[in-house]
Amino acid sequence: MEGVKPMRAPFEGKLVRLRAREPEDEPYHNQWFNAWDVVRYLGRRYPISHAQSRKMLEPDPRYGWSIGFIIETLLEGDPIGQVFLGSASAEDRSAELGISIGDKSRWDGGYGTDAMRTVCRFGFDMMHLHRIELGVYADNERAVHVYERIGFRTEGRRREMYFKEGVYHDTLIMGLLEGELVDG
Amino acid sequence: MQSPYEGRLIRLRAREREDEALLYQWFNDPEVTEFLSMRYPLSHAQERAFIESASEISYGKASFAVETLADSRLIGGVGLERTSPENRSAVLGIALGDKTYWDSGYGTDTMRAICRFGFEMMNLHRIELEVFEENRRAIAVYERVGFAVEGCRRDAQFKFGRYTNSLVMGLLEGELIGHKE
Ligand SMILES: CC(C)(COP(=O)(O)OP(=O)(O)OC[C@H]1O[C@@H](n2cnc3c(N)ncnc32)[C@H](O)[C@@H]1OP(=O)(O)O)[C@@H](O)C(=O)NCCC(=O)NCCS
Ligand SMILES: CC(C)(COP(=O)(O)OP(=O)(O)OC[C@H]1O[C@@H](n2cnc3c(N)ncnc32)[C@H](O)[C@@H]1OP(=O)(O)O)[C@@H](O)C(=O)NCCC(=O)NCCS
Repeated sequence: MEGVKPMRAPFEGKLVRLRAREPEDEPYHNQWFNAWDVVRYLGRRYPISHAQSRKMLEPDPRYGWSIGFIIETLLEGDPIGQVFLGSASAEDRSAELGISIGDKSRWDGGYGTDAMRTVCRFGFDMMHLHRIELGVYADNERAVHVYERIGFRTEGRRREMYFKEGVYHDTLIMGLLEGELVDG
Repeated sequence: MQSPYEGRLIRLRAREREDEALLYQWFNDPEVTEFLSMRYPLSHAQERAFIESASEISYGKASFAVETLADSRLIGGVGLERTSPENRSAVLGIALGDKTYWDSGYGTDTMRAICRFGFEMMNLHRIELEVFEENRRAIAVYERVGFAVEGCRRDAQFKFGRYTNSLVMGLLEGELIGHKE
């Protein structure tokens, strides 16, 4: 059709699709969150049971206006991780973002970057957010690299915020405002 | 021994039902809440529920009423919440609701008392707070007792028709200033 721009589906990037979470996602969800390489830079520190995994996949009313997705590859339809926009404030039009590619074999393949772009685009264009924020361990260089690449700015550094693996770690506050998302 | 509940001007005590009338008055006063996240009018029922939920002080919810040492008058509230035992961290909130006591040193004294309590009685390592960037009075107080500005969350809140920034400030064990006699 001439003159009509093809619309990108709001759930789709170039490599990944975001879809709703299902109870059937429980087995690999549980694996992801029991893999230390995956969770060492997350807030988690205790092993997670299947019952807990099932609960995490249910909508959590405590987080109010909140939305969680499973990230799957466009090519194979393989579930590889999860991402959410949570603790959203309607008045401030802000939300917190969390992401993990739980399938380690997919790291450094561009999926994290693409999932981040897709979820931020969704946040701004579909949820009408003004601000997206995340917290990241200052020593999680891979993640920081990804966030900076898509436009997040480092807004601060919480000193000795988390104790894990025997030492305190600083965390960075990173923020992205409407209009700042850098497309690939 | 210096009481862990007392500063030079104020005392920290548990919250009581009788505090409700003053809390209702304070937190419906836009001058008091200008730099707080609250924006809707609060009911007596909400204030009662708040006091009920806060009246048993514990590690997980260390919420206090602030009263003057001189005449035991209730002037505000302060608390350490979202406490993490593994990280030994907590988030601090303070509001002196009685405006007639502002700019007379009570806020500074309250901050020193609650931080000393957090470090010496709760064994915290880190105390964090967040403050609207335009709340210069509060920032002056926090810096005076040793808090460092660790970050600026851009456009973090919307109130009075515009977005404003908020500062994240942190204080670690050993950094509290001016709490010793
Ligand atoms: C962080 C995470 C989301 C990134 O996803 P990903 O799919 O691996 O990321 P991408 O492949 O899109 O990009 C990774 C980039 O980091 C780079 N990188 C990898 N290790 C790095 C390091 N130690 N230092 C700097 N950059 C590094 C890669 O080279 C790549 O950049 P490039 O494309 O310019 O070469 C993913 O690895 C993950 O979920 N990790 C575990 C959980 C986690 O840490 N989540 C974030 C919590 S805030
Ligand atoms: C913020 C608050 C706790 C401070 O308590 P307080 O008892 O007024 O503070 P103090 O008297 O100890 O110290 C105030 C200092 O700020 C200074 N100050 C006042 N207004 C100021 C301004 N606009 N800019 C810079 N400094 C200012 C005062 O001069 C005083 O410093 P000084 O002793 O060197 O003269 C109290 O005013 C309050 O609760 N306000 C309402 C709720 C609120 O904003 N809470 C904080 C949310 S993060």
